[in-house]
Amino acid sequence: MFALMPVNIRLAVRSLNRNRMRSLLTMLGIIIGVAAVLTMVALGTGARGSVEGEVRSAGTNLIFVRAGNYTRGGESVGIAAGLGAAHTLTYADAQAIAAQVPGITAVSPGLSRRTSVVSGASRAFAPVDGIAAAYAKAYTWNIRPGHMLADGSSEAVIGRTLADNLFGKGFDPTGKPITVRDAAYTIVGVTDDTSDEHNEMLFVPWRKLQAGEGIDYLDYIVIAAEKAGEASRIADDVKTLLRQRHGLASAANGQGYISQQGGGAGRPDDFTVETQAAKALTQGLYTPAAAFALANLPKLDEVTLSEMADTLDRASDTMTALLASIAGVSLIVGGIGIMNIMLVSVTERTREIGLRVATGARSLDVALQFLIEAITLSVVGGVVGLMLGFVTARLIGWALDWPVTVSAQSMALAIGIAAAVGLVFGSYPARRASLLDPIDALRTE
Amino acid sequence: MPVISLEAITKVYKLGDNQVDALRGVSLDIDAGEFVSIVGPSGSGKSTMMHILGCLDRPTDGHYLLNGKDVSALSRDALAEIRNRQIGFVFQGFNLLPRTTALENVEVPLLYSRPILPAAERRARAMAALEMVGLGNRADHHPNQLSGGQQQRVAIARALVNQPSLILADEPTGNLDTKTSIDVMRTLQELREKQGITIVLITHEADIAAYGTRIIAVRDGLILSDKANAPRPALEDEVAPVPMAAVN
Ligand SMILES: Nc1ncnc2c1ncn2[C@@H]1O[C@H](COP(=O)(O)OP(=O)(O)OP(=O)(O)O)[C@@H](O)[C@H]1O
Ligand SMILES: [Mg+2]
Repeated sequence: MFALMPVNIRLAVRSLNRNRMRSLLTMLGIIIGVAAVLTMVALGTGARGSVEGEVRSAGTNLIFVRAGNYTRGGESVGIAAGLGAAHTLTYADAQAIAAQVPGITAVSPGLSRRTSVVSGASRAFAPVDGIAAAYAKAYTWNIRPGHMLADGSSEAVIGRTLADNLFGKGFDPTGKPITVRDAAYTIVGVTDDTSDEHNEMLFVPWRKLQAGEGIDYLDYIVIAAEKAGEASRIADDVKTLLRQRHGLASAANGQGYISQQGGGAGRPDDFTVETQAAKALTQGLYTPAAAFALANLPKLDEVTLSEMADTLDRASDTMTALLASIAGVSLIVGGIGIMNIMLVSVTERTREIGLRVATGARSLDVALQFLIEAITLSVVGGVVGLMLGFVTARLIGWALDWPVTVSAQSMALAIGIAAAVGLVFGSYPARRASLLDPIDALRTE
Repeated sequence: MPVISLEAITKVYKLGDNQVDALRGVSLDIDAGEFVSIVGPSGSGKSTMMHILGCLDRPTDGHYLLNGKDVSALSRDALAEIRNRQIGFVFQGFNLLPRTTALENVEVPLLYSRPILPAAERRARAMAALEMVGLGNRADHHPNQLSGGQQQRVAIARALVNQPSLILADEPTGNLDTKTSIDVMRTLQELREKQGITIVLITHEADIAAYGTRIIAVRDGLILSDKANAPRPALEDEVAPVPMAAVN
């Protein structure tokens, strides 16, 4: 049954080639339909992929606790301290979190500064964070060359880009001295992590940074959850714990900003807990896709990956529905076009069919010849549609600043759909051909 | 054992209330290696007979034994297989596929042979058949680049490419002039003489019928006469005008 495939495909190509204009017009519906399918899938998967990618790039299941608070309520909530400006987080808080909240693999205190760093004749203005050794574990850093700084030491880890700026591209800065606000450190390692702009930063032990400034508070605490799905639960636990420790409102009263506003049972939180997803979004790693998701989330601090993806799916539903209906209509119109042209072809080639049957073609042989011709027509249309869809997806992605992904699967899907259309709409003409009476067929002019 | 054995074959066409008795009880044996010319006036049932002999149609009644096997009631696909292996057709209108080379035209029956022949073997066999009819040098010509006589010889090559025991030719010279008609008749005679292929030829023309070894006259769906004939040689230098009188 398939041994004649090469012959049949050759016949099909020849016959389509013979009526090039007619073939092209016939394929138009399929071309548009397949292009719409591809565009639809490309926009859909692209959007989802970009959110997941962004969230992932922020680190794996990280939870951030920041000193201070900010709300959408603003002044009405009566909060004076802006984000990071409050002095409410302490090392004791970090220790308590590590000791009392289950499911945590790493906790690191943190201080954020922007200041000048000096090494020999080189100087730069850069973000400098005071962290603990556990920070490397939380972010799963690769330190190369060198090693992670030790807690309580005067060691420093430098981001690859910053090192390149200070010392020249690719230079190994380990062993070099570096001065931050009159405090001397020795560089012991380089991180090439690009998340949160780590590659442009300098990291020093938090204790030495505190000591240099004579302060006892932290700007933030980074927590790494052991399991992907537990970030939100841990965020809640941390909130409860810190409220207790800071003598704030009861845990039950503080689930969200709305209830805080109406609650009045205690002072509002003097800290902010964010999961990685929310952090990614608030750090300006923003795409329109993420913005759609963000706009639909009531509580930024409780964002989970799946919530974001769901919201985004809803956001792209409109576009998907539009493209799906274009695709559906075009494919049906294209299919009917193919059926029509194949019926014409069967009529035009009645004598040929008669001759083939007279010389021994079985019904199936004839049916297959025309079916393969129909499928060839639709698959060629599919390939053209694929190229058109590729361009369309790129154009829409560019115009709307919407992320686009054309995967091998979606290309296979598009071609598969085209072939299926050829098969479905080609089978009636093929059957007609296979049932022709050879005597009548040979007699036609 | 005869190649063809017809036993009281009838064929009735029903057209609404009308019924046409195209064949009204034809019995006939044809032996291997015969060159039978069937002649008769228009509407006498010649083509109907050929369709039945060629397994393109089934008789209304009676039996048809082809090489000893009763094929009167076989299925469509079973008949297709018999046509493919045992019968070659030559038509008045050539029925070559347009925009297709002579070689590929000759290959067509081989596409439907089972077991399936590899492409190289199909080509080789088609080429051999073309050479047999003297057109080896025209293998890649399209039908519209060939004369009528050459086209009909390509059709003959196609008829014999699968080494059939029987070649059926319905008015093969109907569209040809005298000289090319003779070419075609010579080709058919040679097939019979050199390969022992049985040939059944349908014609209006007495002088074309005269190339056969046996002449059967049909009228009104019945055999009128059935005589042995000393076949007229198809000579290359034959120039005498052939009278166009029909046999009736
Ligand atoms: N498919 C058909 N339906 C109805 N009647 C038919 C059909 N085919 C043939 N006939 C009738 O059967 C009779 C015999 O026809 P047939 O074609 O066999 O004649 P013929 O001898 O080949 O004539 P010609 O020399 O004109 O080709 C005619 O009366 C014809 O009208
Ligand atoms: Mg006839």
